Amino acid sequence: MRRSKALAAASVAALAAGSLAVSGVFGSSHREAPRIMLDPAADNTDVYAFTAKDAPGSLTVVANWIPFEDPAGGPYFGKLDPRARYYVKIDNTGDGVEDVAYRWDFKNKFRRPDSFLYARPTVTTADDPDVNFVQTYDLYRETYDKDGDLKHTKQVGDDLIVAPDNVGPKTIPNYEAVSNDAIAPVKGGGKTFVGPADDPFFIDLGAVFDGINIDKPGRPNIGLGNQGGGKDDVASYNTHSFVLQVPESRVTRNGRSVKDMKSSNAVIALWSTTERKRMSVRRHNGRKHYKPDWVQVSRLGEPLINEVIIPAGDKDKFNRTSPADDRANFGKYALNPEPARLLNALFGLGVKETDRKDIVQALLTGLPGLTQIGKNPVPADTLKLNLGVPPAATENRFGVLGGDMAGFPNGRRLADDVTDIELRVIAGALLPADKGGKQIPLGDGVDQNDKPFRSTFPYVALATDGFSGTVKRTEPAHAPVPQPPTTGMTTPPSGMTTP
Amino acid sequence: MQARRLFAVALTFALALAVFAATRGDERAAAGRAGTVSAAAPSLRPDADTDAQVRRLQAAVRRGAAREAELAAAYLQKARESGDPSFYSRADGVLGRALARGPEDPAELVEAAALAAGRHEFREAVRLARRARSLAPGSNAAYPVLVDALVELGRYRDAERALQRMIDRKPTLPAYARVSYFRELTGDLRGAAAALRLAVAAGGPVPENFAYVQSLLGSLELNRGRLAASRRAYAAALVAVPGYAPAEAGRARLAARSGDLRGAIRRWRSLVARLPLPEYVIGLGEAELAAGRVRAGRADLALVRAQERLLDDAGVNTDVELAIYEADHGDQLRAVRLARVAWRQAPSVRSADALGWALTRSGDRRAGLRWARRALRLGSLDPTFRYHAGIAAGDTPEGRRHLRLALRHGLGAHPLHANRARAALEDR
Repeated sequence: MRRSKALAAASVAALAAGSLAVSGVFGSSHREAPRIMLDPAADNTDVYAFTAKDAPGSLTVVANWIPFEDPAGGPYFGKLDPRARYYVKIDNTGDGVEDVAYRWDFKNKFRRPDSFLYARPTVTTADDPDVNFVQTYDLYRETYDKDGDLKHTKQVGDDLIVAPDNVGPKTIPNYEAVSNDAIAPVKGGGKTFVGPADDPFFIDLGAVFDGINIDKPGRPNIGLGNQGGGKDDVASYNTHSFVLQVPESRVTRNGRSVKDMKSSNAVIALWSTTERKRMSVRRHNGRKHYKPDWVQVSRLGEPLINEVIIPAGDKDKFNRTSPADDRANFGKYALNPEPARLLNALFGLGVKETDRKDIVQALLTGLPGLTQIGKNPVPADTLKLNLGVPPAATENRFGVLGGDMAGFPNGRRLADDVTDIELRVIAGALLPADKGGKQIPLGDGVDQNDKPFRSTFPYVALATDGFSGTVKRTEPAHAPVPQPPTTGMTTPPSGMTTP
Repeated sequence: MQARRLFAVALTFALALAVFAATRGDERAAAGRAGTVSAAAPSLRPDADTDAQVRRLQAAVRRGAAREAELAAAYLQKARESGDPSFYSRADGVLGRALARGPEDPAELVEAAALAAGRHEFREAVRLARRARSLAPGSNAAYPVLVDALVELGRYRDAERALQRMIDRKPTLPAYARVSYFRELTGDLRGAAAALRLAVAAGGPVPENFAYVQSLLGSLELNRGRLAASRRAYAAALVAVPGYAPAEAGRARLAARSGDLRGAIRRWRSLVARLPLPEYVIGLGEAELAAGRVRAGRADLALVRAQERLLDDAGVNTDVELAIYEADHGDQLRAVRLARVAWRQAPSVRSADALGWALTRSGDRRAGLRWARRALRLGSLDPTFRYHAGIAAGDTPEGRRHLRLALRHGLGAHPLHANRARAALEDR
């Protein structure tokens, strides 16, 4: 609706003036195909990995694709691409190369091809005949050899249904039931869900990308970002969540479950990727030197790495390269992170700007004794999770910084405040005081998601419906939360700080 | 369309154009403040609403954030969506300030290249895009405009190389759409459709982009004679962007191709009432002529001339389609002149076709055929290219072959010319 209004708003005169002119868009003077390379259908937004309280002995992964789905936006935009491949990859040997991968392949169909209506009342199941546009998927488990060559593929989910969009209460009166109806078993153990969900990420993007503009004019009370007042720019937007829960033995290096956090198979590293088909410009020649027909167009391991650590000119390169090559390609950016310089320029915090081995360790090689795989892991942007750490009875949004070993950067739970954690780590939270360590309670002023997460699979909050959806939420102001937080800071495990 | 009503539309149009000419460059008045530090992150929000994007970025730039390149990109997208050239001036203003401030920024250079291409300064576009690429070799951003400009310059080998690199790096809607065009130019219509279907599946952040590739698919399927597939594609485009003009135009052509001239005229009329582009007015006029409504057809076609003058007055680049219009319905010598200008700007197969047709219509069929062959040097099956070559070649095996190919590949969507091609074949 909004779109058609915008079109109508352009007056005939203005339209006419433009139309004849310079542009080759409307006239056929030359074909000017779109230039925007943003690619939401392939854009993986976040990866979460944790041991769920109700599923000990299993890995739970939430991988999200398609950012900023407006609940009221047209249901055909931001659909998963049936011609692309969606992956969650797992490295269990510490070389930055996948050993196990799960792959989702999608299919689209219209039940009534003559109608463009997404669904008609009343939808009561995920596969309801009143849903017109249907997406289904097949799920595959792949194993790889040491060189990253595909060894074996097994289909573990066949023709499963993607939960329909939450169009509104008239069409789908009980969305929770419909969404849960899309949960399916995985062959070999576990559960799978794919469908729209409230984007679990919470962040004041406007502030972070405006030069970490925490102390905004007109917002005098936000301080360093530890007393609320931030505006959650992701609030009420949906995303497509791929939630997978599989027994630990399906992902560990020796194919066994994990005994405890010291076990040699305890740590795994995850990231998600999207691949698209490449083609030769001329169809009938030059085919032979395009051996791998699939090209990785997007990847994501830890939160905000591509956004904050990788400079603009190298972001495309980041998306098409492998974690195994991160040291060579991007190591310098982690060692001398731009945000550290930025924080100093803006706030004069005296943060250490160079030789940040602590950041390399926290993000790329893993914290020894907690998230490091083996003795000499390859530095790689992957989300590392120690499956031997039991879920916390009470979660602390600061994760390991808050003494809660079951949270980021040990894996990542839905409620972990990764923005605050990363800002504080960049400011030196993991360094000893004599090596430039600083405990500065930085943050973006947003502490939690706008919607509570569910306690059972698939955990993510329900997608906001298109009828009542309004976007954005402002964190209410509260008393400053000090750093380190007062709650539960116990002795850090060995290796938590860089020697 | 009643000639009087059409004239009223043209008058509105003229006024608007005058306003546009008078307000050009106003944007420069807005002063840019010295930029403070910025995280220089690209906009994370692939917002479907370009207006909102423009407002947000304007505010950011006003605050001093170094996001001029993003703002320019949003203006250029806006120009795509509205067809309003004042957005080019705005992009120009904001980029001029940013580039003058220095240091050389690859993102700003890419937008400057896109702006140059939009204004048909293709050599400058290539220069700027290459400069941007050398400054940021890891980035894909310079490729789309580089490929486009090389294609317009007729440098197909270079274009193919750049495009192959583009799609090897990131196969996504803009890359698939360009592969499709390249294949179409070489006559590989099936391959072109395959690439477009990948573009449609990939989709994009902006509904207009999706509607655009669906409309292209519609035209391609129309030329391949797959009318049901064509109809579906146009309908999908119109669901994405209600009233999307290229899809409405496509449906008018589809009606003509299906033999429904009355339906075609009705669709052209309602489109022209809203958006009197020469291309659409020509579509209307030719459909009317084909239906035997000679007076109405001539009256409508005369309007194109008025538009052409207005364009000249506004200092806007003339265009191959106007040359073809003059060749078909106006002053053939003027057509030759216009086509030569177009060829100098953009020595592409399209310009060769226009120049060839202008020469043929002006009476120089030998030269016309030479240029027509040049237009077909990549093997294009474009129905108008083939029709032009067929008429130029006259009653020869070559001429008949071109005319048959034209009719087999969608000339029926241009009923006036389809009738002439059929008549030419029957006479022989």
